[in-house]
Amino acid sequence: MTSNASMVGLLLRRLGGAVPLLVGVTLIGFLLTQQIGPDPVWELAGRSPTPAELTALEAQLDRDRGGVGRYLDFMAGLLRLDPGSSLITGESVRSIVGRSVPVTLALMLPGLILGVGLALALGYLAARHRGRRLDRWIAGVSALSMSVSLVIVVMLLQLVFSVWLGWFPARGWSAATFTDWLLHATVPTLIVVLVNLGYNVRFFRALWLEALQLPSVRAARAYGLSERKILLRRLLPWAFGPIMTRLIFAVPMLLLGGSMVIETHFGIPGVGRVFYNAVLSGDQPVILALVVLTGSLVVLSQVLVEVGVRWFDPRAGTR
Amino acid sequence: MSSVPGQMHRAHRPGGMSTPTGWHVVARLLPMVILALFAALALGAWVGLWATGWREISGPAWAGPSLDHWFGTNQIGQDVLARSLQSIAAAFEVGLIVGLGAAVLGLLVGALAGYFQGRWVDELLLWLTGCFESIPYYLLMGAVLFALDGISGALQLAMILSFWPAVARVVRIRVVVLRSEGYITAARVSGSHPLRIVRRHVIPHLYDITLVQVTLLFVAAIKTEVVLSFIGLTGSDSISFGRMLAEAAQDLLAGQYQNFAAASVLLFLLVWSLNRFGDELQVALDPRRPGPPLRRRLDLI
Repeated sequence: MTSNASMVGLLLRRLGGAVPLLVGVTLIGFLLTQQIGPDPVWELAGRSPTPAELTALEAQLDRDRGGVGRYLDFMAGLLRLDPGSSLITGESVRSIVGRSVPVTLALMLPGLILGVGLALALGYLAARHRGRRLDRWIAGVSALSMSVSLVIVVMLLQLVFSVWLGWFPARGWSAATFTDWLLHATVPTLIVVLVNLGYNVRFFRALWLEALQLPSVRAARAYGLSERKILLRRLLPWAFGPIMTRLIFAVPMLLLGGSMVIETHFGIPGVGRVFYNAVLSGDQPVILALVVLTGSLVVLSQVLVEVGVRWFDPRAGTR
Repeated sequence: MSSVPGQMHRAHRPGGMSTPTGWHVVARLLPMVILALFAALALGAWVGLWATGWREISGPAWAGPSLDHWFGTNQIGQDVLARSLQSIAAAFEVGLIVGLGAAVLGLLVGALAGYFQGRWVDELLLWLTGCFESIPYYLLMGAVLFALDGISGALQLAMILSFWPAVARVVRIRVVVLRSEGYITAARVSGSHPLRIVRRHVIPHLYDITLVQVTLLFVAAIKTEVVLSFIGLTGSDSISFGRMLAEAAQDLLAGQYQNFAAASVLLFLLVWSLNRFGDELQVALDPRRPGPPLRRRLDLI
């Protein structure tokens, strides 16, 4: 392990290096929603508005100023952690994010973790039995999982578990008690596991195959270490970095992007549904804020992954 | 990598690699046959040979399969088979447009960046790639759909804008490797014009990875269209698998399975065949690679 001081230095350097990306993400979001997107003045103005009404709305929405000024204002708001508020309800984005992100996390995290765990195990089995029957079976199941549309899995599981069997509610959300949460999160968790299984198994199978070729693994095998010991002492430490990278990247991608279908279809008030409603109703500030916040989250997790992996294994930078 | 001791524990087990049997041949040919069939069906529907009456109300509501309506009818009596065939055509269309669009954009950016590796052009293009890459697909696509509110082609453009960075990354790395090759250095010192070098020595080496990327993008575009149409973010009166499945969501509650069965089976066969085709392609183009590593960014769809 490297000294803490040099790690902090690395972290700061990487954060500094991420600033252009963060600026770029805000620029893309701002250009798409504010400059190219429909003018909210006309959306909010009633039928046949008078020029005075339009001017008043423009002033109220800051539309009478140039794009650069509004962009700088937005950036200033972002730095104060206040990225605006909804055009429709007037609720601040901060409060919207505050109430919807925990729901999405409670909904999607179990599936993400279970899915990665299962894929790690299946990928290991496939890699150990490379080219043999078990490997082909696992490859077949992966191909199945990769080829089924998320939509079909959503509809099928809802049909089976909620309509035919009636074990779980078909729609809605509650996490007031543990039982409530289990009732509402089980089917979505199954969906997340099934849909991502194929991609994850493939990734981890390739990773384990690479790990099994390591000289240290060969040496350990020559010394007669058991497969379990090789797995725990050689393979897992080596694979820790890639596993964490994939897991941490999946969080913003899956939680804030992939949850849209599940949340809209099951009527769950998470971030995905908030974004979906904002796109449908043309809630410009909410779209902008969510795009910028998730984009920044991805950029920052990239930095954290890089520094974290280096902290765990100082050779990572040279590999 | 190919050191002998590393291979030992795999190679010495008998029965590890079985010889190709009839079943294996079928398994390898099946995706190609399905793809060829679907392509023919799509082409026929596209030029108007069949399935022209997909909008017409041609039978009773929610009729079961019959000789008139092989796949039955939907809630208002439209023929599910005709709508399925049109959906296959729509899937090919979105796959081709997005696949080619994102591939061309990614190829252009990646090749430029790789050729000027380390200089400001590269820095700028890497920054651009990184920015687009950092916004999760569905958020970027939602923002583009909002920005281009109702313009036809907005959906395809949204996907192209989301998918091109994956291609650019792969192409850039290949070009960086190519640049250090001896024959390119030789061409450069012998005074060839940079554009001639790019045309003669760089672009031909990008065909294979671009082809693989197009198949991956093809699949990603079809799957994404299904998701976005299903939740109703693509506003138009056309038909696609996503729209059929959105209809099917209503049908299922009423115990009617025509739309769901037709759309899900056909969609699965199409995507599965395309995935198999893409895998075979990757193995054929680069047999040394153990797995399909090019996927990475297009995961999670």
